[in-house]
Amino acid sequence: MTDDDPRPSLDEMLGIDAGPSFDALKAPRQFFGALRDLGRVARKTVHFTLRGERRPGAVAQQMYEIGYRSAAFLCISMGFIGMIFVYQAGLQIRRLIPDTSQLGATYLELLVRDLAASICALLLATRVGAGIAAEIGSMVVTEQLDALRMCAADPIDYLVRPRFIASLAMTVVLTVIAGCVAFLSGMWTAYAFFSMNPRTFADANLVDLGDVVIGLTKCIVYGAAIPIISAHSGLVTVGGSEGVGQATTRAVVWSSLAVIVLNFVISTIGYVLFG
Amino acid sequence: MSDFFTALGRFFLGAAGTVGSMGVLLGRILSRLVRLDLDRHELTSNLYNMGVRSLPIVFVTALFTGGIMVVQAAPTIERYGAHGLLGWGAGFGTLREVGPLLTALMISGRVGANNTAELGTMVVTEQFDALRALAIDPISFLIAPRFVGIVTTLFLSTIFADVLALVGAAYAGIPLLGVEPSLFYDGLTSGLLGTADVVHGLVKSVVFGVVMALASCEFGMTTEGGAPGVGRAVNATVVVTAAGIFVVDYLVSFAVR
Repeated sequence: MTDDDPRPSLDEMLGIDAGPSFDALKAPRQFFGALRDLGRVARKTVHFTLRGERRPGAVAQQMYEIGYRSAAFLCISMGFIGMIFVYQAGLQIRRLIPDTSQLGATYLELLVRDLAASICALLLATRVGAGIAAEIGSMVVTEQLDALRMCAADPIDYLVRPRFIASLAMTVVLTVIAGCVAFLSGMWTAYAFFSMNPRTFADANLVDLGDVVIGLTKCIVYGAAIPIISAHSGLVTVGGSEGVGQATTRAVVWSSLAVIVLNFVISTIGYVLFG
Repeated sequence: MSDFFTALGRFFLGAAGTVGSMGVLLGRILSRLVRLDLDRHELTSNLYNMGVRSLPIVFVTALFTGGIMVVQAAPTIERYGAHGLLGWGAGFGTLREVGPLLTALMISGRVGANNTAELGTMVVTEQFDALRALAIDPISFLIAPRFVGIVTTLFLSTIFADVLALVGAAYAGIPLLGVEPSLFYDGLTSGLLGTADVVHGLVKSVVFGVVMALASCEFGMTTEGGAPGVGRAVNATVVVTAAGIFVVDYLVSFAVR
């Protein structure tokens, strides 16, 4: 994707051997270059999603890979998150006020608005992001991508589009399922440790339309961001198997970082809009 | 139906085998550490690569995490008008749970995955056998320094992230809730939070570091099947580390009050 054109630095042009000098602008320049490439991949992905050719089975296979095979991992992790969260929150509330009756309602609101979507996305960023980057990266280093281009198949249409659509759909589905698991495990914790009636705990009074809209927006945005960032870091793989390792690491790090930054942005906008 | 039980049994036997071999690996690493039998040069270069070079990610993650804590707490704070408790709420969540957890997830992506990829590449290119042929112990030369490196990195990064997240939260409170940093600080030090909460988070970070180091070294060392095998090992590492961190978090939350 990038045409590497290493321009001579000022030191080199002037013939000064400054040794391993610290180039203050190198990191920002690389960052914005990567961001531009990322935008290009995103634009092409959306373009092909809207008007690419349909290949039956491609999206379904990715849905199986991204959705079905992540389900157990997500449910186990979110189940434990639910237990930890309710336990810690209950402990703190009891330190402050003896009344824990609002615990369930507040937990459900937080789960719908943020926790379910964001924790699921962080977990999907590790599993799905690493998978996509490793797959595409090893195709790049074994020149299978060049073979695709020779067959007049655009790699983004052929490889990224099915993953993008599958991730978009499956992130929403998995978030809903894992959110339910987290709520049930939280309910069990409240019953077992704070002897709260499950009926009192399952209180959806505090959940309003704004919370649902923010939660769903987060799911969709994360579901779009993770495959595009991971596919980008797979596509720019250079070198052999070490390159694939680096691509995987890069995909996980940048997807997780994107989830955290997007979470902050969407939460702030949601708070300003819905209060 | 019997297929299902076969798969379930195979899954649990596999998980038990992995946990067992991680325990054996931990024992072998500890026996080297007790004798201080580890390569100094590898240790410093690992500490640099893992610790110092992760600082930018930890920095960005922590600042945004602090902001997110405040945004999420904001509706509840508004509802009860408890602006003075913002510091307590954000501080409690950050120090005990979110700080160690998010730092561990980020470091697992950067350091744990990279470690597996490196070790896995060494294994499939038979560099481990070469070390053994030269009578160099791979555990004390490669594994023990990485173990120490990951645990130290995670511990120090968590301290760093705790501080930065609280700074981020204090300054996010101004535009969102109109809570001045001084009021935030008062809520933080009002006596509801103590040293125990900080220690709780730091104990977690050490345990997460041990889990991450063992998982990434174990999957790296048992890589087989060439370059695709390295990819599979990296994938297994990130998944097992993430799930392991949550499970261990649950156990530590109960064990350490």
